[in-house]
Amino acid sequence: VEAVIGLGPAAGRTAETRFVTDPSALRDDELIRRVAGRDHAAFAELHGRYVRAVLGLALRTLRDRGRAEDATQEVFAAVWRSAGRFDPRRGAAAPWLYAVARNAIVDGLRRAPEPPGEPVDVAADEPGPPEQAEAAWAAWSVHRALESLSDPERKVIELAYWSGLSQSEVATFLGIPLGTVKTRTRSALQRLAGVLEEQGAKP
Amino acid sequence: VNERTPRLDDLVEGTVAESDPLRNVHALLITAGAPPELPPHLAAAPPAPRTSVIPFPRRYRFAVIGAAAALAVALLGAGYAIGRGTQPDEAYAVEMTGAPGASAEIVVLARDGGGNWPMELTVRGLPPLDRGHYELWLTRDGKAVELCGAFDVSTGETTVSLNAPYRLRDFDGWVVVAHGSSEPVLRTAEI
Repeated sequence: VEAVIGLGPAAGRTAETRFVTDPSALRDDELIRRVAGRDHAAFAELHGRYVRAVLGLALRTLRDRGRAEDATQEVFAAVWRSAGRFDPRRGAAAPWLYAVARNAIVDGLRRAPEPPGEPVDVAADEPGPPEQAEAAWAAWSVHRALESLSDPERKVIELAYWSGLSQSEVATFLGIPLGTVKTRTRSALQRLAGVLEEQGAKP
Repeated sequence: VNERTPRLDDLVEGTVAESDPLRNVHALLITAGAPPELPPHLAAAPPAPRTSVIPFPRRYRFAVIGAAAALAVALLGAGYAIGRGTQPDEAYAVEMTGAPGASAEIVVLARDGGGNWPMELTVRGLPPLDRGHYELWLTRDGKAVELCGAFDVSTGETTVSLNAPYRLRDFDGWVVVAHGSSEPVLRTAEI
């Protein structure tokens, strides 16, 4: 929709504005722009898409459920505050949100550092910071991408990968044929591949 | 790969080529691990964080022309103060008039960290539109130059949250127009 507004003889400035009423139909970057305009429905939609990814990142960083849940709320407050700074020309929405989330979590950690405890032995084979960062980004991307699946597809992926069940057991659990479970798993993986590529987490 | 890690070839029908992107997705899923369970209080979006508002003295609705002029001066002062950067947390209120029986008030809230000026626009007496919506624009030299947001009205009073991610000192007022129209139905006092 293009709005042409003129208030005087020399007027004639044009401005492009889009009006879409259903936030679920919007891309992440469009939602962020709406949040910058204080659109609560867009904020709720963005929350739904990213809350698991944010909580997952907070859990990885803080390793404490209560602090991670508090940090998750802080992250969305930060998204609300800083949405106006998002510039889609400088990068995709998912990495921007990841950076906002990571900064908010780390800032919270600085404000309320963990209470001193017993020194923890670090295993020699524990991943170093680069590997941890890569794993955190992978988890963020995957957890966000899972939210783009339909409920049946997400269910089959979660059962296949994280329940410890075999596909035959998944089929029994869901009450559907084994062939359907495998077909649905493949289609879900294909959809995830597309979403991850869009997010910049190239599969 | 431990004994509990699923094998891709067991998860889908048929064979998957080594170069198939599904293998990378499979690897990412294993690296990522299960998404966390959401506690009930995180399942729904929180209410949008409130922006602090500095109370502005309530004015009499039917102020005399002198009061309107004072408001206009306040608007200019706001732009001046913003330009000087001396009072970045201060909030302002501006009256709008125009169509018979219609009025509006814009409360400009404290600027956020991103440089946005959140605003609360309260509109009274504008007729609902059969099609389209109203828009709030910032003006410069008599022309509407930047859109602050769109809104619908019902009968009575309507309050909406809008935003101005601009330097307010670059403008001299606001207007409300029906979408697609060039005729303001409300505007800030003439300066």
